[in-house]
Amino acid sequence: MKPIVRKVLKSSLAKSLTTPLSVDHYLGLIDSKLSVNEPRGRIADVQRQTPDSVTLTIAPNDNWITPRPGQHILFGIDLDGVRHRRCFSIASAARNDRVEITVKRNGDGVVSNFLVDRAKAGQLVYLSHPEGEFYPNVEPPAKALLLSAGSGITPVMSILRSWIDQDCLPDVVFMHYASTDEDMIYTDELDALADAHASLSLVIRYTQEHGRIDGDTLDREMHELGERMTWLCGPSGFMDAAESLLDARTTKPIFREQFEASRREAAQGEGEVHFIKSDVAASGDEGSLLEVAENAGLNPPYGCRMGICHSCKCRVSEGTVRDLRNNEVREIRDTDIQICIHAAAGDVALEI
Amino acid sequence: MGRPTHLSDADVEQFGAELDALRDEVMKSLGKDDARYIYRVLNTQRFSEVAGRALLFAGILPPAWLAGTALLSLSKILENMEIGHNAMHGQWDWMQDPALDSATYDWDNTCPGREWKHSHNYMHHTYTNIVGMDRDVGYSILRMSEDQKWNPAFLFQPFYVLALAAFFQWGVALHDLEWERVGKDKSYAEALSQGRDIWRKVRRQVLKDYVLFPVLAGPMAPFVFSGNMVANFNRNVWSFLIIFCGHFTEEAEMFRIEETENETQGEWYLRQMLASSNVNGSVPFHVLTGHLGYQIEHHLFPDMPSNRYREIGPKIQAIAERYNLNYNTGPFSKQLGGVAKRILRMALPHRRKRKGPMPSSIHHERPAAKTQAQRRTRTNGSAATAAAH
Ligand SMILES: Cc1cc2nc3c(=O)[nH]c(=O)nc-3n(C[C@H](O)[C@H](O)[C@@H](O)COP(=O)(O)OP(=O)(O)OC[C@H]3O[C@@H](n4cnc5c(N)ncnc54)[C@H](O)[C@@H]3O)c2cc1C
Ligand code: FES
Repeated sequence: MKPIVRKVLKSSLAKSLTTPLSVDHYLGLIDSKLSVNEPRGRIADVQRQTPDSVTLTIAPNDNWITPRPGQHILFGIDLDGVRHRRCFSIASAARNDRVEITVKRNGDGVVSNFLVDRAKAGQLVYLSHPEGEFYPNVEPPAKALLLSAGSGITPVMSILRSWIDQDCLPDVVFMHYASTDEDMIYTDELDALADAHASLSLVIRYTQEHGRIDGDTLDREMHELGERMTWLCGPSGFMDAAESLLDARTTKPIFREQFEASRREAAQGEGEVHFIKSDVAASGDEGSLLEVAENAGLNPPYGCRMGICHSCKCRVSEGTVRDLRNNEVREIRDTDIQICIHAAAGDVALEI
Repeated sequence: MGRPTHLSDADVEQFGAELDALRDEVMKSLGKDDARYIYRVLNTQRFSEVAGRALLFAGILPPAWLAGTALLSLSKILENMEIGHNAMHGQWDWMQDPALDSATYDWDNTCPGREWKHSHNYMHHTYTNIVGMDRDVGYSILRMSEDQKWNPAFLFQPFYVLALAAFFQWGVALHDLEWERVGKDKSYAEALSQGRDIWRKVRRQVLKDYVLFPVLAGPMAPFVFSGNMVANFNRNVWSFLIIFCGHFTEEAEMFRIEETENETQGEWYLRQMLASSNVNGSVPFHVLTGHLGYQIEHHLFPDMPSNRYREIGPKIQAIAERYNLNYNTGPFSKQLGGVAKRILRMALPHRRKRKGPMPSSIHHERPAAKTQAQRRTRTNGSAATAAAH
């Protein structure tokens, strides 16, 4: 979109002419990717590197803003008429004008299975502005460790690519755990980068062959571990194990990116939850309010299920809730909360 | 006339269970075909609006003015009836598309969506045709039931009706102020803040249709102005006709508050069915009415996507027949005639005829006896909560 066109479309005149709808509603007549504010895109390329994953290259519209390395987006797609939103890390270099994500099949998950099996070029996808603090505003360190497992390779891939793209690659050990070599993604690219850059060394481990992460392997494979800043991403079990191993060996900062909620105590609630719009009541004893709703047969929207994306925001007309992250109990009225990280702490009336 | 006496509690419970099952079946099967339907309607509406407004810019040519006004009327009717009304009922919330979200959707008329969701979704749909509770019964200016007290002002109600039809969007906008309650159990401050909301919406609507578009058209301003005015008028009259055919036909039942206290879900369904009336017509007719030609289905399941009313209509009619209930339907002309008759009859001072224990259209046969019912109270449907409200 030309800047002048954008300016006109964003003006208050355009708003007044399209009220109570918005300019976007009419731009949709031309192409649903167009919008004056919202980042959206179309899938431009689909690569299936392994049987259980897919790498999507997305061409975003003009509203896409350059992310920082290692950030993620809330990715939306319409499946069977329903818009689903899920978090995915940006794997491409930050300044790349195409956005790359790699999605791994997650159990019976709706979105990951669809993308892995059926994503096609041309499909419209909804994006969000990049979010996340995995790579805080730090100067590239002299020495770094990028440590990942499974689909956790994506945000560290972005960090590695961004450093190379910006010509500031430090001394890096890129250590990754995949279950087998069949499951290893980005193999060819990583090999080529290691060949081209002397300061990059690769350590790839297959858990089915070499076992899970342990101190011996770290001590054997890693030189100068104590001097390396670490970026760590993977399943929570892996991250917890890796973090305690690293804590014993280095005092440099460790940055973490988490894809799933760390195992908190089984979420427990108390009281009765009343879903007003659906006219359903359920016991709030077990699980987060999101889980209580799902177990009662309702389908409220969600994205990350761990309190970072706000997809599950929902209005409490009144009630007492407990924040599962810090166990704080609050009495609220007509307030929006993220139901994935709140449990009932008394009767709750939710507008679902 | 209230609840027919030929049905036992158990019958009513069974009736409710059958409707619940039908609802669950449809709601579980929502998917891409429904999404494709509503997106097609959205695109048609937007396209006809853009084309209509463009043609009005050439409105000095009579064919362009006529075509432009027709397209803009079509767009406004589709937007208010099939899109706005239904989206604000939450019919498309399952799609999780912010453009169709009942919490934020606001429609293209002078009544703010938020006000309307209160007066319509809540008051009218919950207390349908309960005289004294459902303010849509006569919109507090007309007498539509014998249970409303007559006074001489009602003699002129045929004229009020014509005015209401022409200015329907304004009537709807002012409706929720509940001015007859102001100064009694509603404070002036509350009414004032509502009034401000309405004024903000009215200002934006008027600015768009009667100032900005005409001004942008330069010398064509009068044609754009008149085209917009006629389109708004057409939409007003059309929505007025459809809505009055929905609840004020000859056979539509009215209820008294006492009859509906502690209603069960089954009884609530029963009242919705008896208080509503359908209009037969073709598919395009139904789309243009926002599927309110299926008023009965809409009142039973207000949040079911409208395109599905066509599918369940025959099933609902079959259920009604099995329970010997009146499924009030007929061609547009018949239903409209019924409305006109009611308006004229109620202008005159006479009381409800005591027709005996039940309406003549309902027979005494009972469906096979059912086991004793457990009464399930519908939390947001009982007149008891209403009285407390
Ligand atoms: C910040 C962040 C970044 C991420 N980056 C990436 C990335 O780059 N690549 C990547 O592949 N993933 C990433 N993820 C994880 C990703 O968001 C999820 O795996 C997502 O794909 C799951 O969506 P889904 O629709 O496939 O699964 P969902 O349908 O949401 O299901 C999630 C899991 O729950 C199970 N499940 C679903 N419903 C039920 C139920 N009723 N009862 C019991 N179990 C159930 C499913 O089998 C599945 O294992 C990231 C997550 C976060 C928070
Ligand atoms: S689902 Fe992401 S915040 Fe709750």
